[in-house]
Amino acid sequence: MSIAVLENPRLTLKVLLRNPASAFGLIIITLFIVWSIIEGSLQVVGTLTRHPSLGWVLLPYNPLAVNLMASNEPPSIHHLLGTNAEGQDILSRILYAAPIDASVSIVTVFSAIAIGGVLGMIAGYYGGWIDEVIGRVTDAFLSIPGLILLLALTILIGSGYFQSMIALIIVWWPIYARLSRAQTLEIKSRYFIDSARLSGLGDFLILIKHVFPNMIDPVLAYATLDFGNVILTYATLGFLGIGIKPPTPEWGEMVSAGLEELPGYWWTAIFPGLVITIVALSFALVGDGLQDILVGRINY
Amino acid sequence: MSSVAVYIVRRIINMIITLLFLIAIVFTLIHLLAPSPYALARIWVGARATPQALQAVIKAYGLDKPLYVQFINYIVDVFTGNFGIDTMFKKPVLAVIKVYLPYTLQLVLTGTIIALIIGVFTGAIAGAKKDTATDYTIRIIYLVTWSMPPFLVAILLQLLIAYDLGLLPATGVVNPIYTPPKPITGWPLLDAALEHDWPYFTSMLRHLILPATSLALVSFGLITRLMRNTMIDVMNRDYIRTAVMKGLPNRSVIYKHAMRNALIPIITIAVLAFATSIAGAVVIEDIFQYHGMGWFTTQALFNLDYPTILGFTFIVGISIMVANLVADLLYAVVDPRIRLE
Repeated sequence: MSIAVLENPRLTLKVLLRNPASAFGLIIITLFIVWSIIEGSLQVVGTLTRHPSLGWVLLPYNPLAVNLMASNEPPSIHHLLGTNAEGQDILSRILYAAPIDASVSIVTVFSAIAIGGVLGMIAGYYGGWIDEVIGRVTDAFLSIPGLILLLALTILIGSGYFQSMIALIIVWWPIYARLSRAQTLEIKSRYFIDSARLSGLGDFLILIKHVFPNMIDPVLAYATLDFGNVILTYATLGFLGIGIKPPTPEWGEMVSAGLEELPGYWWTAIFPGLVITIVALSFALVGDGLQDILVGRINY
Repeated sequence: MSSVAVYIVRRIINMIITLLFLIAIVFTLIHLLAPSPYALARIWVGARATPQALQAVIKAYGLDKPLYVQFINYIVDVFTGNFGIDTMFKKPVLAVIKVYLPYTLQLVLTGTIIALIIGVFTGAIAGAKKDTATDYTIRIIYLVTWSMPPFLVAILLQLLIAYDLGLLPATGVVNPIYTPPKPITGWPLLDAALEHDWPYFTSMLRHLILPATSLALVSFGLITRLMRNTMIDVMNRDYIRTAVMKGLPNRSVIYKHAMRNALIPIITIAVLAFATSIAGAVVIEDIFQYHGMGWFTTQALFNLDYPTILGFTFIVGISIMVANLVADLLYAVVDPRIRLE
């Protein structure tokens, strides 16, 4: 038996927490999001009130302060994850960068669902030449590996936080268009759509009231997994030096900076990389769990 | 015409239409960002060009012509492989790509093959022993490697195997003390083998192992997961039950009967693994200083070398469309029950 995730949030949560893997993922994601909201708000308020130090009130060290006396210190009681070449505390920098990765992944995935969902529903519902055109555009985007397309877009629209976000959205919506088109096609053939049409409901209302609620669950299950993919890709952009403008720390950029300290000072590159892995893994575990619930692979 | 020929022709027409849409998208983006002929010219020759050079480019490329003329020109350019002049080497983009692409292809193909081997075996074992400790271990391993950023995998391998153990070289394509063989096929590894230049061949192979393994570690999870799922499906079929009841040993049932049938869908996913690896190569070539197309792309990115990046994007797009077509045809050859439509 399968359950509708959105209609039964409490039951869904219970099932997810019963499985150790998805429970682990859920805990890490919650920590990541809650921390990102707190730290992100502090940073925004700090910037607006011209007290940037508010951004590191909760952190063990100022993540931006250069201290060459403490350069490349190994992990210790004082610096749990060590320091980088500039003597900046790595733990503080990882925590300081969390809201960036969180906001990028959330904005990207939800924008992609909005754009791709609408186009996919229209393509699937109306069919004909509309479907052909949307389908070809989707194919054109999906024929190129995401990262390559991102590099092409970056060179056109430039690098930085907002530019990367726009480029990621452009690359990310087609998969949701394809996903929601397939769902819509399946839903369209059911009787309740026919009866809605017979009762005189317009296309727009049918799409919103009947198609959308029925197609969104599988899309959300995929999206959960996808937050991790966006974080991985954004970190790769950061690694290539085009995700965000320095000196703001970003996880991928930290790994790339640490690369120059290899092999001696391995912690400068490895710890930020591990954090990316753990967060991406958590999203994958919860996404897998949701998928299992949706297709009814779980007994409860 | 036979049905296969009709199918191929239809797929190729579809591919061309998709490619036209891709060109339209890139064209629109370029023109949105560079609305004037001067801004356009800067895209093609670089931001530091002199006004005279910009004038010359506007003339040569017809950048002051009406939009539809420019669009048609652009389509003709892409279809004839004219992607402009690389702003770093001042050579045609296609010539530059021809130099670097074979290195990347030999890396990506090796990586995909390693990924296929690891993926097929781990997936088959996990599927045949569903819900056992072996199954869970394999699933955890592929979920973790899957969630790792490609650069972390590469750095870990480089640290452990190249720096710590000193087993393999950490960076480079080949030991620079060897002179490269004369190009026969344009594929360096193949050329070295054809000319019996074994020291060069071995050195290149040794430099290939770490980056190729990194690529494989990133993408094998895709294959493992699909293989596991189809294997579970196949293990429930009647002919497997018959094989077990005939008294065949477990090993023979799994590897001879089940695995062969579960292999069919792998053909399609192999293209996806290949595509993932091309993207992964950009980062991994950067870390291993492996001078292929991926490494060159990062250089082009820092130098705002538009023609090369756009040219490479088109070439990757076209090759993946072709690879998908080949995969679908192979699929029909391997499994005659599948009809091409």
